[in-house]
Amino acid sequence: MVEGALMLTCLIPALHFDDGTWQAITVSGLFTFFVGLMLAVSFSHHKRLADRHLSYLLVVLMWVVLSVFGTLPFLTTGVTLKFSDALFESTSGITSTGATIFSAVEWIPASVLLWRSMTQWFGGFGIVLMVLALVPSMGINRYTLYTAEASGADNSNEQTKSMAATIRRTLGVYVMLTMAFILFLWKSGMHVWDAVNTTFTNISSGGFSIYNNSLQHTTHTQQYIISAAMLLSGINFSLMYDFFSLHWERLHNKFDQIRCFIIMLVASIIFVVIALRFNMNYSWADALREGTFQTISVITTTGSLTADTSQWWVPITFLFVMLSLCGSMAGSTSGGIKTMRVLILVRNVRMILRNRLHPRSVNQVRLNKRPVSSHIITNVMVIFLIYVAVIFCGIMMLMLSGISATESIGAAIACVTGYGPGLGLSGGFGCYSAFTPLAKFICSFLMVMGRLECLTVIVLFTRAFWRRR
Amino acid sequence: MSQHKINRIKELPVERLGIRKFNFKLIVHITGILLTWMSISMVLPLAVSLHSHDGAQFAIIASALLILMAGMLLRNILGRNPDYELKEMESYWITAIIWIVVPICGTLPYLFLGDMASFTDAAFESFSGFTTTGSSVVPYPEELPPSLLVYRSFTQWIGGIGLLLFVVAIFSNLGLTSRQLFDAEFSGTQQRRLHPHLSKSVSRLWRIYTIITLLMMVLLLVTGVPIVDSICIAFSTVSTGGFLPYHDGLSMLSNGSLMVITIFMILSGISLAELYLLITGRWRQMARDQELRTYLGLMFLSVAVCSIAFISVGNKPSESIRYSLFHIASTMSSCGFYLPKLGHWSFLVSVFTFMLIIIGASAGSTGGGIKIWRVMTVTKYIGNYVTRMLHPNAVICIKMNKKVVEKEYINKIFAYVFLYLSFIVIGAFVLTLCGSSIPDAICMAAANISNLGPSPLINNLGGDLEYAMLPDLAKWTITVLMLAGRLELFVLIAIFSPAYWRRR
Repeated sequence: MVEGALMLTCLIPALHFDDGTWQAITVSGLFTFFVGLMLAVSFSHHKRLADRHLSYLLVVLMWVVLSVFGTLPFLTTGVTLKFSDALFESTSGITSTGATIFSAVEWIPASVLLWRSMTQWFGGFGIVLMVLALVPSMGINRYTLYTAEASGADNSNEQTKSMAATIRRTLGVYVMLTMAFILFLWKSGMHVWDAVNTTFTNISSGGFSIYNNSLQHTTHTQQYIISAAMLLSGINFSLMYDFFSLHWERLHNKFDQIRCFIIMLVASIIFVVIALRFNMNYSWADALREGTFQTISVITTTGSLTADTSQWWVPITFLFVMLSLCGSMAGSTSGGIKTMRVLILVRNVRMILRNRLHPRSVNQVRLNKRPVSSHIITNVMVIFLIYVAVIFCGIMMLMLSGISATESIGAAIACVTGYGPGLGLSGGFGCYSAFTPLAKFICSFLMVMGRLECLTVIVLFTRAFWRRR
Repeated sequence: MSQHKINRIKELPVERLGIRKFNFKLIVHITGILLTWMSISMVLPLAVSLHSHDGAQFAIIASALLILMAGMLLRNILGRNPDYELKEMESYWITAIIWIVVPICGTLPYLFLGDMASFTDAAFESFSGFTTTGSSVVPYPEELPPSLLVYRSFTQWIGGIGLLLFVVAIFSNLGLTSRQLFDAEFSGTQQRRLHPHLSKSVSRLWRIYTIITLLMMVLLLVTGVPIVDSICIAFSTVSTGGFLPYHDGLSMLSNGSLMVITIFMILSGISLAELYLLITGRWRQMARDQELRTYLGLMFLSVAVCSIAFISVGNKPSESIRYSLFHIASTMSSCGFYLPKLGHWSFLVSVFTFMLIIIGASAGSTGGGIKIWRVMTVTKYIGNYVTRMLHPNAVICIKMNKKVVEKEYINKIFAYVFLYLSFIVIGAFVLTLCGSSIPDAICMAAANISNLGPSPLINNLGGDLEYAMLPDLAKWTITVLMLAGRLELFVLIAIFSPAYWRRR
């Protein structure tokens, strides 16, 4: 229902630019709106969602259904006629991945472009909302993926807030940030239309662009502004709320993640800048700008580009792949494994090492000075391994559908982490249009998997799930 | 009661308080003993050299003498009259030092013969030998003297059973208990002991190992392989090493010999304890082992998948099956032998092979990889976890061989897997710095940390690649990876971790 309403907003540019797509958009918008309305009415008597099975199913269905309906604008306006293409593009939007099948974006009608950007904005918000508000309220937090974030290992005050309050706050922060960056970009000399689209896709760590060369044409100031937007998209939203509402003492609750995130980011930027300066002969200013922009774009899994990174030195590419796997903070719009999990994984290894060296000592994994319970550690371990396994299966399936080795590795990782550009032809300014329809379906599936952190989707495929209760 | 035992009892309370100094002397002493033995073991290549008149005898004698002198020096002068007491820490140190000192001494024959361009190359070859990896910087092994070929494979054979089993044997002579050492070599796998007495189970392991090697040599001779070659191949196969006396894999051998090699590769991926049961005829007990079943099952599945994949891209069925069987056996046992590639390659096989490289062989075998036991535990736990997501109040435990696996232990395994993957990633990163492409770097890192060595995968993804052409930094990276894989990571990290150096 919300999606239908959003589609209708795309009428505005359609009418404004008078590009003759307004009928199509209206039809798909109204259709989605009514289907949503019907579903909402028919299920309105289900007051509680206490059933665990149903909630997993619901979460997955939510993303799948949104993606499927999201294809309508692409199909009805005739931008692409193949369902696989439309689904890929729509899923990539909703999961804020930013992988595109359009080799030439500039001829696409304005309304559809806005729709693309909007799906990302909406999708980015959706995931934050789900992690911060919906999942804790569904009562499935004990054994879910979001345990680490939702169960109070991280921030104990989160659970005491009501769901409505969380939604309100998150929405508030999100909208404010969006407005602010639209304003900034506009002030720095960007056209309003560009500013809106760019903000939508970057604040949600999406990465769609309305130009073929992504953001290469933007001025240097604008690139730094966009970097800031992307950086914010990698930060936990309740953290941002605390920050902007001046509750700075609460930042201590997440001190470890912040530190780890900053260290990872800064170290990578330094490496990339030095490599660009000395290996690829950039000037210091250029190296700093490009390096900062690309590294932030990767670590927040945004995927906006100011240069053709597929041509960059191989170790940088490798570093980027690994950074996108790590991702940024949980409870943000970005993808990847998340800083906190990486931190727990590393600290757990350290603890085990200590235990082996000093068998009689008592060691604990601590995060933010609080001990992490063992079930959270195993949870993190399981998610990590499943993540790796899913990427691996993705690579295998993509190879089977006829994609080359490098391309498959790049595409699978880019889709699961939500980064966007892969390696080879699909990397840099390239696109996924050369993929076979089957490969596109696989990629779409991987995107949803990655966004929902694999386990939710995998549960649906187990026998235990469908066994009668 | 001998003097050192009395000393031990006297010192016990002080030791409990943790005041005792680091027992450096004992480590030096043991390293010395090991080096002495090593120089004695060079008799074998020397005999080959005298037999085949290849002119390498002086180099071998010289290096043997040097090693002997070094060993004597360490044993009788620097490490004289050590305090026979070993703590957890020192057992890690012994493990690490031995695994570094012995391969470095092992470079001497390569250096003396002048076949290696640099110390880096010699060290690469030597470490690759002792860690049973089998990556080689020698493009044409046929040009090496036969005695050196035998020496190369012999280092693998020693490395395969684990240098520490030597040490354990020395220890039992000295009257020390050395369970930690045994566990350091076979860490974290709940290794079944063959005998309540450690020294006896070690001697049994030795016996099985030798019997299998001799059996294989004889069978190879029977199928028509020349004697020096069959010695080399038997050493390399049983230890899951992978050095070959030929530059182009095993293409020139007859089908019969290939069959023998395949069978022994499969055998060498099985835990030595299980092989003991096999040899002593307790088959039923052996068949009950879950790890063995998974190993064989996984192997069968992989062969089936790869054969189908090869047939589907247009190879002849008989060739496909034969090649798949050989290839999978070589990969899973981490031998790293290869045949000339089939006419059409399939990507599915590449991915599957990569997976098998990381999984590796059974725990307690001479092979590398994460080990099937660990992978099984992890998989079971994840399945269990998913079920518990749906039924949060259910109490389900994981059993391996009908024994419940403790949670602590599972956490360790998870951490191990995580570390393993991180090592591959970090290694691959350094390799890309040295100019490899990404798939190549990842495959090389994985193949070397799993002690596999050469794999058709590396060539397949990145064109022609030989270890000899890599820059020095890449060679040293690979050397570290090989060592880390062989020592199962923890030992190496333990030595270099800040937690170790913190004052106790």
